[in-house]
Amino acid sequence: MPKQEGGRPDGDAALAGFGRYAGPATLILSSLADGPKHGYALTKDVEEFAGVRLAPGTLYEALARLESQGLIQAIETDDRRRPYRLTAAGATALKAHLDAQRRVTEVGLRRLSVNWAAGGGVA
Amino acid sequence: MSRAGSDAGQRAARLLRWYPAVWRDRYGDEFAELLMADIQERPRSTARTLDIARGGIVARLADLGLAGFPVPGATGVDRHRQVRASLGTLGAALAVCLTFGAAMQSQLTIAWEWSTAVAPSAADPDPPFIPAVAGFATRVTSAAMLAILVLAIAATIPVIVTVAVRLVTGAGRRLALPAAVLAAAVAVLFTGGRQFENGWVGTGGHDGLIPGGVAAFEWATSLWVSAYWAHPGALAAFPLAERAWMVVTPFALGAVALAAATVVRRAGLTARVLAFEARLGTAACVVMAVLLAGVACWVATGGEGAPLFRPGLIDVAATGALALALAAAVKARATAIRGLRPGRG
Repeated sequence: MPKQEGGRPDGDAALAGFGRYAGPATLILSSLADGPKHGYALTKDVEEFAGVRLAPGTLYEALARLESQGLIQAIETDDRRRPYRLTAAGATALKAHLDAQRRVTEVGLRRLSVNWAAGGGVA
Repeated sequence: MSRAGSDAGQRAARLLRWYPAVWRDRYGDEFAELLMADIQERPRSTARTLDIARGGIVARLADLGLAGFPVPGATGVDRHRQVRASLGTLGAALAVCLTFGAAMQSQLTIAWEWSTAVAPSAADPDPPFIPAVAGFATRVTSAAMLAILVLAIAATIPVIVTVAVRLVTGAGRRLALPAAVLAAAVAVLFTGGRQFENGWVGTGGHDGLIPGGVAAFEWATSLWVSAYWAHPGALAAFPLAERAWMVVTPFALGAVALAAATVVRRAGLTARVLAFEARLGTAACVVMAVLLAGVACWVATGGEGAPLFRPGLIDVAATGALALALAAAVKARATAIRGLRPGRG
């Protein structure tokens, strides 16, 4: 995995290394970009903006990976529901990943509008 | 707390048991709160239960060093926790490989020693012979077993030194029990092996590829890897002491593997020793692959018509066990190497 100075994983490579967990990881980081949240609040926020309900096991598997990678950080509190916040490395990784996804989205939408707008197929 | 809340709490506590203790220490409280809220919202959900079971199993695999990410520790002191777990698992896989490798290699050695490379003659139109692939497999497995033994000894030395220092300085209280179990299990295996090697059936045959004493000891400690378990009538004809030894041996081997893995995890090995062990682990995986290739060739060709070299179902099963051990070793080694990279954790 390519590394930036200081040994942190490079932008999109950080999330690419999550494999099948990149989806939940992206949703969690996007949710935390709006401010710290605990597990239940994360679940509700993701369900609201993405229409996806993260199951508890999947959620915490992704949280553990993100925390071990330094992309999120737990906030110590007296409440049993411990909130998490996005770190600077997490924000960098999320932006790189979303930029890459946006390029794919733009290419896909443009090709669809050119070749499929009238309901026909590729000539 | 209301009855519904109490029920949700109890169900959350039961679901939490899927996860290992270290995971529950770190995430248990907050995960339980999430589960209780989810249970009150959706009282029954098979998908949730399956998801938690899967997550718990993955977390347990990570705790054994077989999955790619560690449970975040509090400080750098825990940074190599998963590396130690991975190396412990790799050691256990190596022990499994040694066990089944010894069983198959001793069988090949016995067949080798009672076979000669003699062409048929009028006096003996059907002499025993060493088939090409089985002969190759015997050489390969003998070399691989010797290499694994050397690697195992090299891996053990720094661990023994570390454990001894900790015990002598009084810093190894948590090491005392697993070290004692390991020593006792090794003593049982050595004593029993030396006792029963006198019954080795290779005695009187031609020279083998490895010293007879070593081959006999291998044979004695792998007696339990046998198809006779499926034939209780035939097994009953064995001497009682030998049957008892066949029962005791797998437990002693299991105790060695588990105790050794526990010692590695608790010994507090330095980063330098961990890196050394990881490099040895890489070499061990290569040699284990060679061993597997050798026995697989023999089993696949079925002995090529030589009765002494004919493999049985037990050999097919042992080959499968070797393959699983190799897969676990490769995965554990990869996790250990990843954990030792700079900037990790």
